[in-house]
Amino acid sequence: MRRRPGIGGLQNAAAARDQYRLLGENVAKLRTDLMKEQLSTFRSQLEDFARKHKNDIRKNPAFRSQFHEMCAKVGVDPLASNKGFWAELLGIGDFYYELGVQIVDICLSTRAHNGGLISLEELCKLLGQRRKGAREAVAEDDCLRAISKLKVLGSGFEVISVGKRKLVRSVPTELNKDHNEILELAQAQGFVTVDEVQRRLSWPSGRATDALETLLDEGLAMIDDGDKDGRRRYWFPCVSSISSYAGADTS
Amino acid sequence: MQKLGEFKLPHFFNYPPYFTLQPVRDTREKQVQLWKELIIEYCRAQKVFIIGLEEDFPLFSNRAIERSLSHEARVAFLSALVSDGRAEWTDKGHKKCLILWHRIQEWADLIVHFVKENGLEDNVTTVEEIRSGTESRGTELYGIDRSVLMRALKLLEHKGKLVIFKGASTDDEGVKFSL
Repeated sequence: MRRRPGIGGLQNAAAARDQYRLLGENVAKLRTDLMKEQLSTFRSQLEDFARKHKNDIRKNPAFRSQFHEMCAKVGVDPLASNKGFWAELLGIGDFYYELGVQIVDICLSTRAHNGGLISLEELCKLLGQRRKGAREAVAEDDCLRAISKLKVLGSGFEVISVGKRKLVRSVPTELNKDHNEILELAQAQGFVTVDEVQRRLSWPSGRATDALETLLDEGLAMIDDGDKDGRRRYWFPCVSSISSYAGADTS
Repeated sequence: MQKLGEFKLPHFFNYPPYFTLQPVRDTREKQVQLWKELIIEYCRAQKVFIIGLEEDFPLFSNRAIERSLSHEARVAFLSALVSDGRAEWTDKGHKKCLILWHRIQEWADLIVHFVKENGLEDNVTTVEEIRSGTESRGTELYGIDRSVLMRALKLLEHKGKLVIFKGASTDDEGVKFSL
């Protein structure tokens, strides 16, 4: 449509826009209707599937994870409410609720040691120990799901990525990019020195010390002045496992 | 898990930073708490009553991770126990510390229990008997530090539960119970 100058031109443009809008709405409505129908079919198929494979979903973490993915694709959230079809059918609403409670408990009880940041791996391990007698096995995917439900509580629960690892944060502490990079560096040996941070990240000395001091203040780092070479080491409990210290490589 | 003899060491003992006094208050509190508990449990298990700050107390260093507690750290942890009433400095220079993994009153209760268990209510026995006699073997009283025992006995004497008197030999005293 060619634009014409002047008032007439403007009126034409407006009329054209209106027409397009109406057409767009119609198309959208058509598409939505079609989609709704497809989804409805898909949903009932999903429900049948869930009924049939209830036990597998409950017992097998890998299967459960795939089931969730399927649900997500059709916009079904089996965990949306504790009541209702899904929760009753699968009883998995309770499972995630229970997991959430255990996760909160573990995070709280390890907070004094790691400052409120714990590796997902360590969390899952501790969960496994706690749930020794339970029927249902727990995988990292389950932890992540339970934690995403916890976020609703607004208590600062969040999963952050540092390098190849995932860490679960249970305190409102915000980590900036500098902190993240230090944590990633620390994953190799469980600690860093000021020199190492400066060297590996090419930072000026003030920047490294500032970041490390903040991490120390937040309770995420601990100092170690006992090394023979006299250099202060900053250790990060959140990147190690509680039961595998003694200088062992934690990666 | 690492052990010191039969004693199982907690995980934090193998984590190097715990051997350095932490500057951040909350972290320090957690550190002190852990060390206090470890010291008490170790002394209880090994029946250690006196810790010499400048001596080679096994908990003060961990060879596996090449770390030792500084003098300042040792003083900090033991002072915390003293504040809790679970330890006492035996000298002004704070070089030796008496560990009360049982408080004096708790020792006194144990003595009363011991007396009742062995039917010694109206009997006479000696201080040495209480700490190394056949009846005390297997009980917590066996091997108890003599000065701690005397304090517990004096406490009970004050309450009229017993009388301490000079015994036949010069270095042992007798005790008559009247529970």
